[in-house]
Amino acid sequence: MLPPPIARHSQYNSARPSQRSTQATVSFTLHTPSRDRGIIYHLRNVVLDRESQGVSFRLNVPSLQITQGEKIALIGESGCGKSTLLDILAFIAQPSEIGAFRFRPENTGEPIDIARLWHKRKLNQLGELRKKHIGYVMQTGGLLPYLTVRDNMNLSRHVQGLRDDTSIDELARELGIARHLDKLPETLSTGERQRVAIGRALAHQPSIVIADEPTASVDPFAAEKIMSLFIGLAEERNITVIVASHAWRHIKRLGLRRLAHHTQRSSDGRTTETVVNG
Amino acid sequence: MLKMKTLRLATRDYKHEWQMSGCFVLALAAVLGPMLVLFGLKFGIVGGMLDQLIEDPANREIRPVGSGRYDRAWIAQFRQRQDVAFLVPRTRSIAATLQLSSEQSSRILNTEMIPSDDGDPLLPATQAAPHGMRSIVLSQSAAAKLNVSAGDRIDGSLVRRYQGKRERVHVELNVAAIAPAAAFARDGAFADLLLVEALEDFRDGHAVPALGWSGGEPPEQRTYPSFRLYAQSIYDVAELKQQLAEAGIDVRTKAADIELVMKMDRNLSTIYWAIAVIGLVGFSLSLGASLWANVDRKRKELSVLRLVGFRTGDIVWFPMIQAFYTALLGWALAIGIYQGAAWAINDMLSAQLAQGQQVCVLLPEHYVAALLVTVVSAVLAAALAGMRSARIAPSDGLREI
Repeated sequence: MLPPPIARHSQYNSARPSQRSTQATVSFTLHTPSRDRGIIYHLRNVVLDRESQGVSFRLNVPSLQITQGEKIALIGESGCGKSTLLDILAFIAQPSEIGAFRFRPENTGEPIDIARLWHKRKLNQLGELRKKHIGYVMQTGGLLPYLTVRDNMNLSRHVQGLRDDTSIDELARELGIARHLDKLPETLSTGERQRVAIGRALAHQPSIVIADEPTASVDPFAAEKIMSLFIGLAEERNITVIVASHAWRHIKRLGLRRLAHHTQRSSDGRTTETVVNG
Repeated sequence: MLKMKTLRLATRDYKHEWQMSGCFVLALAAVLGPMLVLFGLKFGIVGGMLDQLIEDPANREIRPVGSGRYDRAWIAQFRQRQDVAFLVPRTRSIAATLQLSSEQSSRILNTEMIPSDDGDPLLPATQAAPHGMRSIVLSQSAAAKLNVSAGDRIDGSLVRRYQGKRERVHVELNVAAIAPAAAFARDGAFADLLLVEALEDFRDGHAVPALGWSGGEPPEQRTYPSFRLYAQSIYDVAELKQQLAEAGIDVRTKAADIELVMKMDRNLSTIYWAIAVIGLVGFSLSLGASLWANVDRKRKELSVLRLVGFRTGDIVWFPMIQAFYTALLGWALAIGIYQGAAWAINDMLSAQLAQGQQVCVLLPEHYVAALLVTVVSAVLAAALAGMRSARIAPSDGLREI
């Protein structure tokens, strides 16, 4: 079922100040990635439809390109589709329609056709790509309660068959959680748990880290600290970062490119569409 | 393929959540334990009853009513039948007695002589049957009165009136064995048909050269007035009775008793199986439901594993391994519950039971069967639930909580 028609184009083009939808399209590019670097993500006309409790939601990505080493921020209220876009980029949510979806994690080689893998439901191949190239920080940590901090951080390494070395200890020191390495997550504070989650996302040296509101559940002061720690670590390792957050204020200062997106609701409130371009 | 890391993670999770795991184990044992007790009771009671029925030769006995004329050819032919376990002819009962005396007792015992042979259902299979003219097996009552035991020698004697004279002859007999009390309640002696025939011949005025007894010519053609017949099993009794009746031989059997017990067995079995099927269905459903619910509960954690790159196969193994632990531990606990209950039941009723008899019994193969059913249904339920979890897009699981 198609959602009721919404006057997207006219609104989009005319950009009337009176429209009900949030419109935030300014791009900050304090940190300017050199455009000649390799393109990691290339998305064209990727759409994901979702329906729950009579309200349909559509994420529309007419065009999105992310180059290596970029630090990208997706800012917006919850429910606008930030997480959905991250899930698409992490290959854990299947788009309903794909014009083109290519992924080229290393600068070398042919781009991988993600559209084809989804079409053939090659979940294991998508998983392989994810485990090699992507680190994912969940909003609520997503730590396994039965593993110690060290084992949680090692999970992304072990699943790839990487040997234990001192990298976990170093990472833990940098994240300020070295003394918690042999504890279970339940004994840690929320902030500490998020640091562990960041550690797990970085431990296997991925080329991309995706973080979904990594600091939403901690107080603003700690959030800022954790976020700058995270971006700093990613910067050091030349990792591409895609982070979703509802607070632009403290991210602004970290030099991220803000992804333009814009959300609108149909007049009956039953259809929401978010368009992302970048 | 099951990988070590999956096994290790699943085991650690199971241990970490020991309270939850314990609840699943308890829930399983709480259903399986009573089922085992129920099955043990059915197996012990009905099985024991049937065994008794089948084992008791009295239930397989077919007695001719009144006397007839059966020749050797008929006996030999009838003995060949598949459903006949034992058949020996009887001589006239009035001629089948012998007066026994022993040195250990002053009593002279008028004893019934019972023709016997190998495979006599009244005598234990381990005991030798009496063979030849000088060997007998005494009933317990007779042995007690004569104060003899196996291996002793006793004197048998009988009297006849022949050609106007009263004659008494003696035969020295070897007590081959003492029959169990249940075999024959009165004073009696099991003997080779030859000896019983000899007693009749002597009384009829014939000579018995083998024992040195003189008299007239041995009889030319022998017919018997009766026989001792035992069916192969209690299930053959009715058929044999009917066929004998068709041949004009009126017999008495315990067919009515047998029918009653068999009916009871059928009814009990029906009731048991009804309960067992309901129990099994309930058991499988509760097991399946709890494991399914458990996988659902763990969907987020499974999604995290998926997120860090675990493959579909690994994800499905995870709940299967845990279900296996639950099945194994639950089964072991159920065995414990059963053992306790069975011991209590058997102990409570031990006063009313024969030595070694038990009301609640399970064989080792029953334990194994219970283990297999439990493990297979548990792992299957977990696999189905795990497959469902592995199929959903990981993002759905991640966003649930």
